[in-house]
Amino acid sequence: MSFWDLIVSLLGQGLVITLLTTVLAAILALVLGFIAGLMRLSKNKLVRFLVSIYVEVFRGTSLLVQLFWIYFVLPMFGITMTALTAAVLAIGLNFGAYTSEVVRSGIQSVDKGQIEASIALNFTKVQRMKRIIIPQAFIIMLPNLGNQLIELFKSTSLVALITLTDLTYQANVLNATTLQTTQIFTALLVIYFVIAWPMTKGMKLLERKMTEGRM
Amino acid sequence: MSEPIVKYNNVTKYFDDLMVLDGIDFEIQPGEKVALVGPSGSGKTTFARLLMTLEEITDGTIEVEGDYLWHEEDSNGELKPASTEHLRKVRSNIGMVFQHFHLFPHMTVLENIIEAPVTVKGIDKKEAIKDGKEMLEKVGLSDKADTYPAQLSGGQKQRVAIARALVMKPKVLIFDEPTSALDPELVGEVLDVIKDIANQGETSMLLITHEMDFAREVADRIAFFDAGKIVEDGPPSEILYNPQAPRLKEFLERFMSTQASPE
Ligand SMILES: Nc1ncnc2c1ncn2[C@@H]1O[C@H](COP(=O)(O)OP(=O)(O)O)[C@@H](O)[C@H]1O
Ligand SMILES: [Mg+2]
Repeated sequence: MSFWDLIVSLLGQGLVITLLTTVLAAILALVLGFIAGLMRLSKNKLVRFLVSIYVEVFRGTSLLVQLFWIYFVLPMFGITMTALTAAVLAIGLNFGAYTSEVVRSGIQSVDKGQIEASIALNFTKVQRMKRIIIPQAFIIMLPNLGNQLIELFKSTSLVALITLTDLTYQANVLNATTLQTTQIFTALLVIYFVIAWPMTKGMKLLERKMTEGRM
Repeated sequence: MSEPIVKYNNVTKYFDDLMVLDGIDFEIQPGEKVALVGPSGSGKTTFARLLMTLEEITDGTIEVEGDYLWHEEDSNGELKPASTEHLRKVRSNIGMVFQHFHLFPHMTVLENIIEAPVTVKGIDKKEAIKDGKEMLEKVGLSDKADTYPAQLSGGQKQRVAIARALVMKPKVLIFDEPTSALDPELVGEVLDVIKDIANQGETSMLLITHEMDFAREVADRIAFFDAGKIVEDGPPSEILYNPQAPRLKEFLERFMSTQASPE
């Protein structure tokens, strides 16, 4: 097969799964990250403690092991799921833990004067968070969130190891049948890069759009 | 005499072991403009922040229109710490303009101004915009409605902050050194706006300032702070031209000499 044919073949079979995993896991990570990040700022010690357990466990162990655990071990406790669900869950939980730190520090780095102005204007705490603090924190977080999205995208190659037929999985299959190892994995490299690069650019663009004239 | 709009009763404030306010009694009458002057570190900011509920009171009580700010009476008539709802209800009478403006950087000037009326008071957005634009006109910034704060001068920012506080229609408006962060050439425009409001209004004002001429012009009363106490309190003519307390005399002398020095 020509190099071009290899790329087309890989894309045709694996691209959708890789992108689907990326998007779903990123959404889950963002939601979990915000919830956990806000809970880490709670006044309630127990809440903070429980969240810190989640964060430390998922940051302190490898994503691959988490993936295996969710896909291969949970069924032994009667919890079975598809490879896609397991992949999204593992990656979402893992990146959610990191994102919660980004969210927490983003919120904490909003100028304290903003809280004071909100109190002086008689906002409730929830109104203050929603209207004043989080919108500003989000802008502060964007570069970090962008980096995490790229990391998350690249980490989806691990899902091949739980039989999910993503780009990497297809490359392995193709390699076994054609033995064009150099071309196949070079093609794979190129594909990941060509997807990641516009993602990076897109995040930069979004950052600029959101800060334009404001910060 | 009418009931005071603000009343401090034996108010004490500690930061850990440091006593910053030492049992202060103080009143503001409806519509009255009171200037707070005194050396740096004497407790003026803390005094005002207690009223804005930005610092917690250590001891004593503050009343706003006869309601306790930091406390609530329980069924036996005993004082207990105020609930959040109570605090917000009483706080809605107070507004504040800060030294460093604290505009919302992610919102345009007009958005800054209508945010609290819409979100906090639930006022219809169209109406809030109408009020907001009127207020912008008052502070002379109609042409800046769609500008972001980052593109304004310090003086313009402070005028927006004043408009933002005013649309909430507070009964008492606190100014904490509103011109201290400004370049000298921008001080005048902000003081003019504050004078305008003072002249128009039934709004009571608590003005912390180092601008003595301004205090004399605007204030009905000047209170001199020293080491956590109000040492002298009276009409500007008395405080500035006939000071009694040695600390006040010293303060004014030092003040006059630094004012005269550039000539
Ligand atoms: N958050 C704080 N924690 C500890 N000490 C404080 C705090 N805020 C103010 N102080 C101290 O309280 C005293 C009075 O400060 P402040 O009210 O700012 O005075 P002023 O406004 O008259 O300059 C100062 O000694 C200051 O260092
Ligand atoms: Mg001060």
